[in-house]
Amino acid sequence: MSKDKIRWIIFAGLFLFVTLAYTIDIKMVSSPSYEVQKSFDYIESLPEGTILMISFDHEASSLPEVQPISLVMIRHAFRNNLKIVGLSLFAEGTAIGYRTLNKIAAEYDKQYGVDYVFLGFKPQHIAAILGMGESIYDVFPRDYLGNQTDTIPIMIGVVNYDNIEMVISITDGDRAVQWIEYAGPRYDQKVMTGLTAAMITSYDPYLSSGQLFSVVGGLKGAAEYENLYGEVGKGNRGMPAQTVAHLYLIVMIIIGNIIYFRNRKRQGRSS
Amino acid sequence: MDIGVIIAGILTLAIYTFLYKDNPIYRAAESLLIGLAMGYVLVIYWQTAFMDRIFSPLLNENDWWVLIPLILGLLMFSRFSRKYSWLSRIPIALMIGAGAGVAIPAMLYARTLKQISASVMPLITESGGFNFEALVVIVGLLSTLTYFYFSREHKGIIGKVAKLGTYFLMIFFGATFGYTVMSRMSTFIGRIDFLLSDFLHIIK
Repeated sequence: MSKDKIRWIIFAGLFLFVTLAYTIDIKMVSSPSYEVQKSFDYIESLPEGTILMISFDHEASSLPEVQPISLVMIRHAFRNNLKIVGLSLFAEGTAIGYRTLNKIAAEYDKQYGVDYVFLGFKPQHIAAILGMGESIYDVFPRDYLGNQTDTIPIMIGVVNYDNIEMVISITDGDRAVQWIEYAGPRYDQKVMTGLTAAMITSYDPYLSSGQLFSVVGGLKGAAEYENLYGEVGKGNRGMPAQTVAHLYLIVMIIIGNIIYFRNRKRQGRSS
Repeated sequence: MDIGVIIAGILTLAIYTFLYKDNPIYRAAESLLIGLAMGYVLVIYWQTAFMDRIFSPLLNENDWWVLIPLILGLLMFSRFSRKYSWLSRIPIALMIGAGAGVAIPAMLYARTLKQISASVMPLITESGGFNFEALVVIVGLLSTLTYFYFSREHKGIIGKVAKLGTYFLMIFFGATFGYTVMSRMSTFIGRIDFLLSDFLHIIK
């Protein structure tokens, strides 16, 4: 069989198993990891009216993985009557952040400017992170809709990080690292992140050194958070398919290794 | 059905045709994606950098100070001229100087000092128990560092410790690879979810 045909069979198999896992109703139980539990407990413990800053620092291509995290975290914040200051330090995250906030705000009957605001995008992210430590009004003189920031009800008195309880960076790259390195030590700002699974090991050193408060990682992290929140969302819906895909890949790796070692043995005999 | 969903569904399928082999449908969808992303980013940058930070303060508030960064930015384009390319060194020097000044202390603190302090953990806990995690960290750190110590040949005890370091590295690479696979699968699952629910309405 040609290599191309083997490749097609493997892809077709993956597509078939993932689709089947989606169409068949499979209930999966997953206990929350320490980090997800810590994130949930912290947000749960905040008093009403506390201001969180959520930064949408990701591209559109990583939406399937990071959006379930941002959706459940924003829902959690709005359910507990916390206020959200949204922004983006990644150009592609701008419209995504605005739409996501508006969508969840409508579910909880939250009012723009009073319960949440979206400040928009700012280029030169390091300068923006440092600048907000001095004055958010200087970095974002106007919000995404063009309103003067210091006159928006939610922003009155919110001058810098002293008035922000926590920064949550939803990211698919190293943008949260800049939040940790620049907003953390200099302004003593607490940073949490929701990120793609591929980036988890990159953030482990910051987590174990206490510079990063907690991490909600990947679709699994979103599913765990949804379980704690008490609502099935995209994270939980994807878990059976994720498990089936992983099992399929493990089987493929084992088969591939068996074939490899068998071929090597044959070559050894013939030589 | 929403026209956006139809377009997104068709483009998703067009991108997946690459799994069969490279073809014009895939390339058209790929070009469209790159073009759209670049166009969107360009518009956002134009609005937030030029309009909000330069033209609006200059024209509406008569803030002449913004001319300084504007001129410095324009000097970057002098690189296109052989005669005046030296002028571009001024903004570059400023950027490197300011960038290094901001980044070096922050990185030194976050990536070196804090990491060193987090790596040095007591082997005996406050309750008098043995801290196995600390032992793993110390052994892993020292053996991995030994692997990257090239001033002496990796023979004898150094060779054995370096070999142990490679095992720790393998575990790290394995974990990273596993997470990356999980990440890519999540993206794929997200698209399948979109195709089956929003696009084809097979599942709710």
